Amino acid sequence: MELSRREFVKLMTSSGIALSVSHATFAQTPAFATRETLPGRQSWNPAATGVGRIDGLAKVTGAKLYASDFRAADLPGWPANTSHAMLIRATDATHVFTGIDLSRLSGALKPSRVVTAADLATAGIRVPAFYAQADLFCPVGKTPLYLGHPVALLIFEQFDAFDQARMALRDPSCVNYGQETGAVAIAPFGAYRFVRVAGSTPGAPDVYSPMQAGWVTPRRFLNMDLPVWAPANQKGPADAQASFYGEQIRAGLAANNPDQLVLDREFQTQSIDPMFLEPESGIAWYDPKSKSLELVVGVQSPMEATESVAYLLGNARGSFKPALIHTHCAYMGGGFGGRDHTTMPLYVALAAMFYPNRPVRLANNRYEQFQSGIKRHPFKMRSRMGVDRATGKIRAFAADHRLDGGGLANFSAQVATVGATAAIGMYDIPKVDVSTVVFHSRAVTAGSMRGYGTTQVLTALEVLIDEAAAALRLDPIEFRRRNALPTNGQTMAGNALIGVTRTDEVLAKLANHPIWQDRATERARALQQRAGILVGTGVACVNKDFGTGADACLASVEVSPEGRITIRSDAVEMGTAIGTALANRVAAIIGGVADEVAMAQVDAFAPLGLVTSGDPFSITQAAQDAASRNPRWVAEISSPSSASVGAHFSTHAAFEAARVIFRFGLWPAALDLWGIAKTDPRARQWDTARWQQRKLAIPGLPPLDLASVAAKAHARGGVTAAMVHGFNRWSWTNASFKIAGETYTADIDALAVRTGTGTAKARSGSTTSDRFVPLNRTSINIPPAINERIGVAYASTCGTLVRIEIERATGSVRIANAYSVAECGQPLVPEVVVGQMQGGFAMGVGQALLETMPLYEDGPGNGKWNLGEYVVPRATDMPLNGLEIEVLPPLKPDDPPKGMAEVVMIPVIPAILNAIYDATGHRFQSLPVTQAMLKGVLK
Amino acid sequence: MNAATRLGLLVSMTFALALAPAMSVKSAGPTATLATPESFSSIGDTAARSAALFAEAGKVLTSARCVNCHPAGDRPLQTDAGRLHQPPVERGADGFGAVSARCSTCHQGANFDPAGMPGHAHWHLAPREMAWQGKTVGEICVQVKDPARNGGRTLAQIHDHMTNDSLVGWAWAPGYGRASAPGTQKELGALLDAWIKTGAVCPT
Amino acid sequence: MTTMRITINGKAYGPTEIRDELSMNDYLREYLGLTGTKFGCGMAQCLSCAVIVDNPDGSSQTMPTCIVPAKNFAGKSIRTIEGHAQNGQPSVLQKAFVEHFSFQCGYCTAGFVNEGQVLLERLAKKPVARADLDKTIQEALNGHICRCTGYVKYHEAMRDVILADAKRYVS
Repeated sequence: MELSRREFVKLMTSSGIALSVSHATFAQTPAFATRETLPGRQSWNPAATGVGRIDGLAKVTGAKLYASDFRAADLPGWPANTSHAMLIRATDATHVFTGIDLSRLSGALKPSRVVTAADLATAGIRVPAFYAQADLFCPVGKTPLYLGHPVALLIFEQFDAFDQARMALRDPSCVNYGQETGAVAIAPFGAYRFVRVAGSTPGAPDVYSPMQAGWVTPRRFLNMDLPVWAPANQKGPADAQASFYGEQIRAGLAANNPDQLVLDREFQTQSIDPMFLEPESGIAWYDPKSKSLELVVGVQSPMEATESVAYLLGNARGSFKPALIHTHCAYMGGGFGGRDHTTMPLYVALAAMFYPNRPVRLANNRYEQFQSGIKRHPFKMRSRMGVDRATGKIRAFAADHRLDGGGLANFSAQVATVGATAAIGMYDIPKVDVSTVVFHSRAVTAGSMRGYGTTQVLTALEVLIDEAAAALRLDPIEFRRRNALPTNGQTMAGNALIGVTRTDEVLAKLANHPIWQDRATERARALQQRAGILVGTGVACVNKDFGTGADACLASVEVSPEGRITIRSDAVEMGTAIGTALANRVAAIIGGVADEVAMAQVDAFAPLGLVTSGDPFSITQAAQDAASRNPRWVAEISSPSSASVGAHFSTHAAFEAARVIFRFGLWPAALDLWGIAKTDPRARQWDTARWQQRKLAIPGLPPLDLASVAAKAHARGGVTAAMVHGFNRWSWTNASFKIAGETYTADIDALAVRTGTGTAKARSGSTTSDRFVPLNRTSINIPPAINERIGVAYASTCGTLVRIEIERATGSVRIANAYSVAECGQPLVPEVVVGQMQGGFAMGVGQALLETMPLYEDGPGNGKWNLGEYVVPRATDMPLNGLEIEVLPPLKPDDPPKGMAEVVMIPVIPAILNAIYDATGHRFQSLPVTQAMLKGVLK
Repeated sequence: MNAATRLGLLVSMTFALALAPAMSVKSAGPTATLATPESFSSIGDTAARSAALFAEAGKVLTSARCVNCHPAGDRPLQTDAGRLHQPPVERGADGFGAVSARCSTCHQGANFDPAGMPGHAHWHLAPREMAWQGKTVGEICVQVKDPARNGGRTLAQIHDHMTNDSLVGWAWAPGYGRASAPGTQKELGALLDAWIKTGAVCPT
Repeated sequence: MTTMRITINGKAYGPTEIRDELSMNDYLREYLGLTGTKFGCGMAQCLSCAVIVDNPDGSSQTMPTCIVPAKNFAGKSIRTIEGHAQNGQPSVLQKAFVEHFSFQCGYCTAGFVNEGQVLLERLAKKPVARADLDKTIQEALNGHICRCTGYVKYHEAMRDVILADAKRYVS
C-alpha cells in the first residue's frame, strides 16, 4: 500500500506523549478518516436537498462506521490479524478476591496473555483520577469494589481460541473468593444542599440563594452515608445560613396551617440501562518499532478518552509507554450518555500495550454490556410541597434526594446537582430547600444518562403537581400555568433563565388539544361501552436545561474554489444527526451543504495552538483572568457530546467559522462580482444577503452562485477557511480579532484563517497559503466565574399528553394516543427533531412501564442480564399511528437552535403515571409501573 | 451423564454437548429425580396408587420444560422461571409461529449451546386445548385423558407420545442454561405405564 | 468441523473448515469481515443480526445469525445489507429509509432493511388488503428493536413504499 500523504497534527501531553490523529489517503483500503468523513465527495448527499442525513447512505448500506465494525485488516498499515481479548469480571463484591483459575483453558484454549493487577503495577500503569475510586483490576487480596469489577484481561492470538475459551469460562465462574468482608464502603460521591428564599416582593433581591452564597456541601457524613449539614445560623457562614433558611422552610411545611395544602410524598425510580444497540468495544495496536499506539473506539468524549489513555500510560515503564497515541473515534450505535467517560478505552489500550505488535480487539457482548455499562442513577426522593389554598400558588418546596451511584463515581456528583437544581421544574417557588446525596455502592456504576437526574426528579414533581391540582380541585394545566416561572423569573439557584420561557405556549397547546379536551368523555365512554377497559388521560410539562456550564466547541469550515464545503467538528455522532445539523447551520451562512463532514476531530485544530488549565467548573475569577492573558488559553478545549449540547453548542463553532468565511471571503468576492465598490453603502450590508439554492442574492442584483463566489474568493486571496473555538459558561465567551484591517468581534475565543489559494497577482498584499494562520485575540470577555453557581440557565420546554387504556383483567397498558409538543429555537434538521421526539417518547414509555433491574447480586452485575430480562419498548408498545408531534416554530427567524434531545423523553413518563391515576384512582409513587403492579391494584 | 440418561435422548446427534470436552453443561441445580413405579407399591388402594403415580409423572408435566410450550395463552414461556417469551412471539395459525416469526427461524434443528439457544426440528406450541399453564396436576390429568383435548389419542398413544416422541425427549437435553425435566424420559414412560395399568386414575 | 460453502449477495464463499460452534454472526463478521450485519444482543431479541435466506423454492425469510451456527447456513444463498444497493445505487427501500429519516444511530438499520425487503417480496407474491397493511407491517417488523427512533418513521417508510406501488403490493 502506497502512502500518498500523511499529515500529523500533534498535541503534547504533560507526560511527554504526543497525541495525534492521522489523516492518510491510500490506494486500496480506505483510511479510517475517509470512511468516517461523510457523505464524501463521490457519494449521494441526501442532506444537500434536505431529503436525508449526511450519514444516511453509509448507514443504510452497511458501510463500516462503528468501532465494532473494525478489524485489523480494515486499518491501513496495521498487521492483518486481529487478536481478541476478554475481561474477567467479579460477580461478588462482598468477599476477598483470591485469584482466577484458568486450568480449564488448556491446549488451544490457553490464552496467549493474561493481564492482572500485578502486571499493571509492574508496568507503572496509572488510573486516571476520574476512575480512580477503584483499581482497574481488583488485586488479589482485596474485595472487588463493585459487581462486575474486572479482575483480569485475557488475550487470545486467534479468534477461534477466544470463542471457545469464552464458552468454557461461562460456568462455573473461574473467579475465586475467600473471606467474607461485606461490601467495601467508601465516602459518598457528593452531597449538596440548595436553598433559596425569594425577596418579599417581585423584583426584590433574594434573601438567600446559591447564586449569592455559593453551593453548600455538608460539614461531614455520618457512617459515610448521611450528610450532616452546618448548624443553622442566620449570621454564620454560607452553609450555616442555608441550614437556617432551609429549616425555616421545612418548619413552615410541617406547621399545621389550614390555609396551606401540604403534600409529603416519597417517590423512587429504578436503575436503567441506556441499552444503546451497539455494545462498547475497541480495537488497538501498539507498534513497538515506532512506539505508537493506535486505537479505534466509539465514545462521546473523544478528548477525555484520548487524555485518559495518555495518563494511563504516561508514567509507564519501558515498553509500556508509547511515544505517540493516535485515537480514531468512530460513529456510535447509540450513546444516550452511556458512552461518555467510560473505562472501555482504558482496557482497549491496555490490551494493545500488553500484546505488542498485534492488533487486539476488546468487545462487550450484551451480557457484559449490561454488567459493566453505565447506568441511570436510581433516585429515592422525599418531597414536600406547600400550596396556598386560596390562590393555588406554590409557596414552598423541600426535598431530599438519595442516589445510588454504584461502584465508580463517574458523573454521580453532577447528576445529583443537576437533579437537585431541576427539582422544581418549570415552576416559580419562592422558598426552596433541596438536599441531595449520592453514595457509593457495589452496584454497577451509574453515570451520565439521557436526562441526567432531571428524568427522575421531574417525574416525581409532575406526579406531585397533578396530585396537588386534584386536591385543590384545580384543572391540572391551569395549576401549572398559575405557577409557571415566567421569562426572567428567578430559578431556585437564584439566576434567571436565558431567553424567553415558552411554558405558557406549551401549556396552551396541551390544554387545547383534543386528547385533553375529550378526556372526560373518553373515560366515560369506555366505562359505558368497553367492558373491562379503563381509560385515563394524563399530562405533564417540563422545562429542562441544556448545556453543562462549561461547554467548549471546536470546528473548521473550508470552502474549495469549486464551492465544495468541508466541516470538521469535535462533536460526535451517536444518532443525533449532528453532522447534518452542522452542515445545515453552515449552509445557511455560506450557501451550500457540506459534502465532507468529519466528526470527533479533537486533534485537527492544532493551528489554534490551544492551551488550557484549571477546571472550567471551579476556576476562580483571578485564575481565569490571569490565564486568559495568554491568547492561546481557553477554559476548556473540547467537551463531550452530552447534555443536549449538539444543536446550541456543538454547531456554534462551525456557525461562527462560516460567518468569518462569509464576511471576509465570500462577501467581498460577491461585491467584486457585482461590481460594488468598497465605498458603496451596500458593501457593509452583508446582513441583507440571503442564500437560496446555492445562490447569493441581495435586492436589485442578479444572484451569484456559490461556485463563482468561491472561485472569486480564492482568486482574490480572501478567507476561504476558518477554524474556531468557542466556550460557553451560560453565555458565550466573546473576543475581538483583527481581520483584513478590521476589528471583528464574535462569540468565540480562538480563530485561525486560511486565505484563498488563488494567484498572488489577484490582489497586491494578499497572502496565499495552504495553512491555517492563527489570529491573536485583541480582547476577550469570558463569562465570569460566578456563573459556576448557576444551576439551570438554558432550557427548553416539552409537554406531553397521553391517553391510555388499561385492560382490567391483565393490567396491561396500551397507549391509545399521545401528543408531544416542544420548542427548540431554530430546528437545524426538522425531521430529526421529530424523530428525537418519537424516540424520546419510546424511551420514556420504557422507563414508565417496562424497564428495571435490581441493583445488586440479582442485577446485571451478575453477568446474566440480556434483553430477555430487560424489556425495552418495541413498536407494539408505541401508538404508531396515534403519536402526534408538534415543534413550535422559533420566536424569531434567526433564533439560535436550542438543545432538546433529553427534554423530549421526560414528560411522557409522569403523563403516563397521571393517566394511570385518572383511569384507576391509584397514584403510583415509583417507576416502573408494571403490568403486575397494575393488575394488583385493579382487583 | 449416565448411560440411563443417555438412553432417553432421542435428540439429534449434533447436540453440542458431544463436542468440546472443556465445556460444561449448566443446570439450574441438581437434576430432580423421579421415583420408580415400584416405590409406590406400598400404597394399597389401587386407585390411590394410580393417582400417586400420575402425581409423580406430573413433576415432569408441570416442569418449566413442558409448561413453557403448553402455555395458557398464545405466547410461549421461557426459562426455568417460566416468564413470558422474549421476544414477544405468538403461536400463529398453526402453532409454529406467525408468518414473520416462525419458531424454526430461531429454534433450529438442535440446541445451539454457545448462545444458550434451545432447538429441535419440530419446535412449536402445543395446541390451545393442551394448555397446562396454571393447572393442577389433577386438571392436567383429566385433560390428558380427554380425547377431545389430547388430539384424539388413546391411553396407549398417550404413553407412546410421552415415552418416545423426540420433542418431548428434548426436555431431558435442553441445552445450556436450562434445567432438565426431572428423571428421564424412560422413567416417565415407566410411571405412565404403571398409571395406565392401575386404571389411569387422576389425582384430585 | 464442517466445510462451509455459502453464497452471499451472489458471491460464492468457501470452502472453509469451520468449527460447529462458530455462530453465523461470527462467521460473517470475524471470518469474512462483513460487518454490515451487526451484533446487538446475541439472543435473537433485537434482530440487528438478521440476514435474508433465499430458499430454493423462491421464498425468502430473515434469519438471525447470532443464535444459529454457521454450519446451518452451509449451502445456502443469503443476502446481507451489503448486497442491497446495486452499483452504488440504494434500493427503493433503502432510499425510503434515508428519505424518511427512519434511522438515527443506524445500528438496527441492516436488520430493518432485510426484514422490510423480505416483506416487500412476500407481498409482491401475495398482496395484502389495504385494511390489513398496518398490522402486516407491524407483525413483520416487531421482532426488531430500535432504541433511538420509536419506530414511527420506519413504519411510515415501509407503508409509503408499499402504497407507492400499490398495484404490486396491495390487493
